[in-house]
Amino acid sequence: MNSMGTSARSRFSGYAVVVLALALLGGLYTAFAAPRTKAEDPANQSIAVKEGRQLYLQGCSTCHGLNNQGGAGGPSLIGVGASAVVFQVESGRMPLARGAAQAERKPAKYDRTQTDQLAAYVQSLGGGPEVPAGTLDDGELALGGDLFRTNCSSCHNFAGVGGALTRAKYAPALTEASARVIYTAMQTGPENMPRFSDNTLSPTEKRAITKYVLYTTQEAKNPGGAGLGRYGPVPEGLVVFLVGMGLLILTTLWIGARA
Amino acid sequence: MSDSIRDRLKATGEDAEPAAPVAHGEHPVGDPTTSTHHSYHGVLDAHSAKRAELAVSGLFLLAVVGVLGFIATFAFWPFEFGDRYYEWYTPLLGTTMALALLGLGAGAILWAKTLMVDEETVQERHLLSSAEEDKEGAVAILKEGAADAGLGKYPLLRRSFLLANGALGLLIVPFLFGMGRFQFKEDTMAKTGWRKGSRLLDELGRPVKLGDLEVGGVKSVFPDVHGGRRMADSAAIIIRMRPDVLKTRDSRRDWVVDGHVAYSVICTHLGCPVKLYEQQTHHLFCPCHQSTFDAADGAKVLFGPAARNLPQLAIAVDDEGYFVAQGDFNEPVGPSYWERKPHYKDEVK
Repeated sequence: MNSMGTSARSRFSGYAVVVLALALLGGLYTAFAAPRTKAEDPANQSIAVKEGRQLYLQGCSTCHGLNNQGGAGGPSLIGVGASAVVFQVESGRMPLARGAAQAERKPAKYDRTQTDQLAAYVQSLGGGPEVPAGTLDDGELALGGDLFRTNCSSCHNFAGVGGALTRAKYAPALTEASARVIYTAMQTGPENMPRFSDNTLSPTEKRAITKYVLYTTQEAKNPGGAGLGRYGPVPEGLVVFLVGMGLLILTTLWIGARA
Repeated sequence: MSDSIRDRLKATGEDAEPAAPVAHGEHPVGDPTTSTHHSYHGVLDAHSAKRAELAVSGLFLLAVVGVLGFIATFAFWPFEFGDRYYEWYTPLLGTTMALALLGLGAGAILWAKTLMVDEETVQERHLLSSAEEDKEGAVAILKEGAADAGLGKYPLLRRSFLLANGALGLLIVPFLFGMGRFQFKEDTMAKTGWRKGSRLLDELGRPVKLGDLEVGGVKSVFPDVHGGRRMADSAAIIIRMRPDVLKTRDSRRDWVVDGHVAYSVICTHLGCPVKLYEQQTHHLFCPCHQSTFDAADGAKVLFGPAARNLPQLAIAVDDEGYFVAQGDFNEPVGPSYWERKPHYKDEVK
């Protein structure tokens, strides 16, 4: 009896320890684990990936392949990362309208949620650069200006209105680009644009450049009243020549008529 | 005065008599109407006229010789720095051009003095001299000023003043050394700020290290020397591409590091910054006149007005993993200049 009572107690105490330990662990986990956003929740993430896969199969797989292997006209998307999807889809470049020297900016075909789903799906394939969480356009404006003039202005023009490259290619205007598009373009180096890794331009510097581009293309006013396309001294010189010379000639004629 | 002119003046109703003298003393240039006209040649006989014609034509032909000589010198005389007799190139251009202009001019003068009709006409003109009392007044003021300043009273001051003015003339001498053979210092044009072992700094002054660039990445870099980021001739670009697309000549095999290659960004056409890099085609593109260079093949010119490849910067990696230059660019950066040698070897300077 005594032995029987002891064995029963030890049996129950074992269960009790396990239950207590589990409860403690669960409590600690709930207390200390960081609260997760909706998108990062694996459950939601997997839903986003599933939805993204559906969108991919419908809209992208014709060129990029049913298994992302690439193929007729489209490269494999394994390892390009979510950033590449955000850039290409949010700026309307993908889906591609037609084969040309370079993809053109168009109205976006997918909304923000669908874009993020596609991005999550492509990210799940093989990693790659991701869009950082949080706002992207809160960088330091002056630093952004410095960096933009050294790294970007040679192709995109000092006012961000773009310019010509070789053989019918061009650096696009940045006037309509969103913060995410500007940021992901630097991360991924689409088409002929060089790629600026986080070691080349740190996330802080990328944010600064994003801020500067948004400021200079959307907020900054034209000091002279009219920007003249912001192409710099050539159109400005033309206007000064035509208007200025015209005024001088008229003044000369007027003086002559009065003499 | 010849009768013919007086008659003609009378015929046109003009007063041939001189105006009364306006100032004291003699008329400044005498009475023009009383001077005798000296004909240069009178009427030449046929023989003299023929000789004069030959002389004038000879001078004109000399001008033609000058022009041809100028063209020949320009086309054929060796002019590049260090060529044999190159130093005569500019003097010969000057001499032949002088021959052309002087021949034409001298011919014209001789023509006028021998064969042209020689007649005088009269043009009214006014007396250009100031009134005598004005002149005396000016002299008095100057003398008074000199006396007030003490020029006569202090001889040492006067002499040192004149000496200082003379010394001012010597100022021109140093400038003479900037001309001619004294200016031919090829090294000053051929050198930039890059030294052996100087690190490659980015626009914020941070050294670039191996691994900073991804494939398809670029970075504008400047030499790690005092004031390096302000040296316009030293601006360079470091590019990373897949090592298998990088075509490297044998002589430049040690100038690249694992797909990283560095070039000057000063266009060899007119010196614009060639920083438009296309990572898929590996083209470096000059926005001014569309010169295109192949960064994967020694920055070879593919298109456009540039005549020479972009100078390459030989790079290496130091003990701490940072990129360093092995020396200066292999040839002078930027557009051509007179003393530039036509060819440079593939060697680090």
